[in-house]
Amino acid sequence: MRDVTLYELEQLGAGAAEAEEAFQMDEDSFRVFYERTARPVWAYLARMTGEARLADDLLQEAYYRFLRARVAHESEAHRRNYLFRIATNLVRDLRRRPRVDDVPIDNGRRAIDCADPQSEDAAMGAARRVDLRRAMARLKPRERELLWLAYAQGSSHQEIAQALGLKTASVKLLLFRARRHLAALLREGER
Amino acid sequence: MTRRLIMDCGREADVLEAVAFGRWPDHAAELVAHVAACAACADLVVVAGALQNDREAACREAPVPAAEMVWWRATIRARADAARTASRPITVAQGVAGACAVGLTCGLASIAWRSVPWADRFGELATRLATRRVDLASTLAMEHALPLVLVLAACLVLAPLALYITLADD
Repeated sequence: MRDVTLYELEQLGAGAAEAEEAFQMDEDSFRVFYERTARPVWAYLARMTGEARLADDLLQEAYYRFLRARVAHESEAHRRNYLFRIATNLVRDLRRRPRVDDVPIDNGRRAIDCADPQSEDAAMGAARRVDLRRAMARLKPRERELLWLAYAQGSSHQEIAQALGLKTASVKLLLFRARRHLAALLREGER
Repeated sequence: MTRRLIMDCGREADVLEAVAFGRWPDHAAELVAHVAACAACADLVVVAGALQNDREAACREAPVPAAEMVWWRATIRARADAARTASRPITVAQGVAGACAVGLTCGLASIAWRSVPWADRFGELATRLATRRVDLASTLAMEHALPLVLVLAACLVLAPLALYITLADD
């Protein structure tokens, strides 16, 4: 392996300093924030896109955009919600782009299932998650986003409205309809 | 037993909390009775339970890279973006200079053309065109085919090279 020269180290150091100036937080604050949010954001991206590989790429992109955004955050919750908003926009952009390898989410196990098959509970859990994924795939993208943010992420109506670009007043009704839809699909799957 | 379906059930928050904190159904006997009569809360139990289990599993299995790696990639990309932004005015200036050069050449050519008695030249051109109209193109092509092909090939080879040298970062 090639040794790194002193000049290259200096360049990297200078680059890191420049980048920190361009970002909205320093490395230590970022690390703390990332540890708290990376897994939920990845889960959201994976479930909204239906593909783990895409979620990996979008995760990096989401944090980059977050770091570059010059937004003053009132609180940790506001910051986290802003990150989910970026993630939502990324998923929507992805949907608008035509894709060559667009395979429908029909087999449920395509991307993310890795439950331990040795235990019966785990197998049942995995089967339920497959059912859920099949049912989620039959929902409209906005319904999926609403339901995930509300019931998986535990976001308030106001946070959901901000993340999805909706009016707070309309979240309740949309969520109610989406919930009924998903519950019906899940019960249908059980029968 | 038929369940009432109302959008605004006052027990929704309690039901959601019981599901979220793992108290459902064993430690929420009163809520279980309510859910048996409320269709909205029954839907909530089904949906919230499934989504929360899925989220837990996804978070457990999430192959997220280390924070240092994400930070490092972001700094590299920020530098590349900064370099691209810095080079943009140079590219614009080069384009403007090119356009000026083309404009200047055209202007000079038009002045030179006007300085020659235009009527004579136009008459001469019209006569030539009238006599050799049909085979003008083919004759030109036959006479200048090889040099033309060579010039075009040179352009095809040199243009990407020139573009690469102009746009290369280092």
